[in-house]
Amino acid sequence: MSALGVLLRKELHATFTSPIAYSVAAVFLLVTGYTFSLTLFFTKVANLTYIFHQMYVLLILLVPVLTMRAFAEERRADTLELLLTAPVHEVWIVLAKFLAALVLVTCLLVASGAYAVVLGLYGEPDWAPIYGGYLALFLLACLLVSIGTLTSSLTENQVVAATCSLGTCLMLWFADSAAYMVPAPLDAVAINLSLIGHFTTFVSGSLFLSDAGYYLTLSLLALFLATRVVTDR
Amino acid sequence: MIDPTEPARIDNPIVAIEGVSKLYGSVAAVRDVTLHVRRGEVLGLLGPNGSGKTTLLRMLTGYLSPTSGRLSVAGYDTERQRMEARRRIGYVPESLPLYSHMRVGEFLRFMARLRGLDSAAAEAAIAEVAGQVALGDRLAAPIRTLSRGYRQRVAIGQALVHRPDILVLDEPTNGLDPRQIIETRNFIRGLAGWRTVIMSSHILGEVEKIADRVAILLQGRLLSVQAMADTPDLEALFLSLT
Repeated sequence: MSALGVLLRKELHATFTSPIAYSVAAVFLLVTGYTFSLTLFFTKVANLTYIFHQMYVLLILLVPVLTMRAFAEERRADTLELLLTAPVHEVWIVLAKFLAALVLVTCLLVASGAYAVVLGLYGEPDWAPIYGGYLALFLLACLLVSIGTLTSSLTENQVVAATCSLGTCLMLWFADSAAYMVPAPLDAVAINLSLIGHFTTFVSGSLFLSDAGYYLTLSLLALFLATRVVTDR
Repeated sequence: MIDPTEPARIDNPIVAIEGVSKLYGSVAAVRDVTLHVRRGEVLGLLGPNGSGKTTLLRMLTGYLSPTSGRLSVAGYDTERQRMEARRRIGYVPESLPLYSHMRVGEFLRFMARLRGLDSAAAEAAIAEVAGQVALGDRLAAPIRTLSRGYRQRVAIGQALVHRPDILVLDEPTNGLDPRQIIETRNFIRGLAGWRTVIMSSHILGEVEKIADRVAILLQGRLLSVQAMADTPDLEALFLSLT
């Protein structure tokens, strides 16, 4: 098994034995399940657009809680010293933490797929927005987890890590509002930085490479910065 | 002050520290240290708290990068060939960092696999170190339930599990009771000859009983390197230097 495999296995074990993971999962599935039932009973419309937007908000609020421990806990317990003196490249350490949190979030998204199954069994939903919505949520999860991993690498305080991660994600969410205050061409930059702008197109069933590129580019940037932070000692 | 340059240099060292400094802003934690270590010897780094012992050990293990100078382990530069250098070192930090949610065997297996041992080699190595550090009956115990003495054994076990050439111990007897101190001391002495051991301590008696040579640090500077056989009164030497 490669170093990444060994590290990922350890991170998955730590993630899935943590009460934080189960409390986050419970909140996520309870809230989305409640909203799904309510929306379905009231509107009788077989689509998940409303649920996807709610998952978008929930992920922004909950992912920082999942990622806050990544490096902060290792720093607090001094175990980062063990990892960083082992013959392992720092990028594998960062990737293992990123992937472990992403696996958990993906499990939540897969579990929420039950709503789509219910719609498929009892109605005739338009599947394109549903596929697009899940793809968007997965890409969003990649970005949120990478931002959380980055902020966790900067501190040994988990609360500070979660707060900084949440703040960064909220700023990205509302980035397009800054377009009203800045001159061209900065207004276009502000609009294109917005999380929600790249999310809604997916949920409407339209797939643009530029939207996927936005999430992937920012995710890679955050992971690169996290690796630099961990390497720079 | 004794000139540290000549006694600090030897032929064919397994560890070579050459003009190493570490600055934090304008504060120097380690200043221009040159020190060579022989294969199979036990070297004691002695100095008061804040003298730069831990910083020097952290640079040697690759956890910190030196601001200037170079360090090599078994001929591998700790910066340019850091993976090769790290493979040859086992490190026990002072705080005994362990993953509390793991069991002892699981932790040793994780550290062995992380250092490149395959599954079968890892199991054999775990059985070997469990015997060496007397952990055989605790492999299934959760780490969070262990006493300080057992945590120390686990920490030493993980440092030895990949059979490194060099064992680096930062204040290895800190927080142990008298019996555990004697056991740890005997264990380290038992490694002499077939492992190179570099240990830091601020306790004169510890270094006196364990080390073959002693390097005295003060405020980041290396003041003296002496063979213990040539140092009948370490206390007098330490007081005269500091």
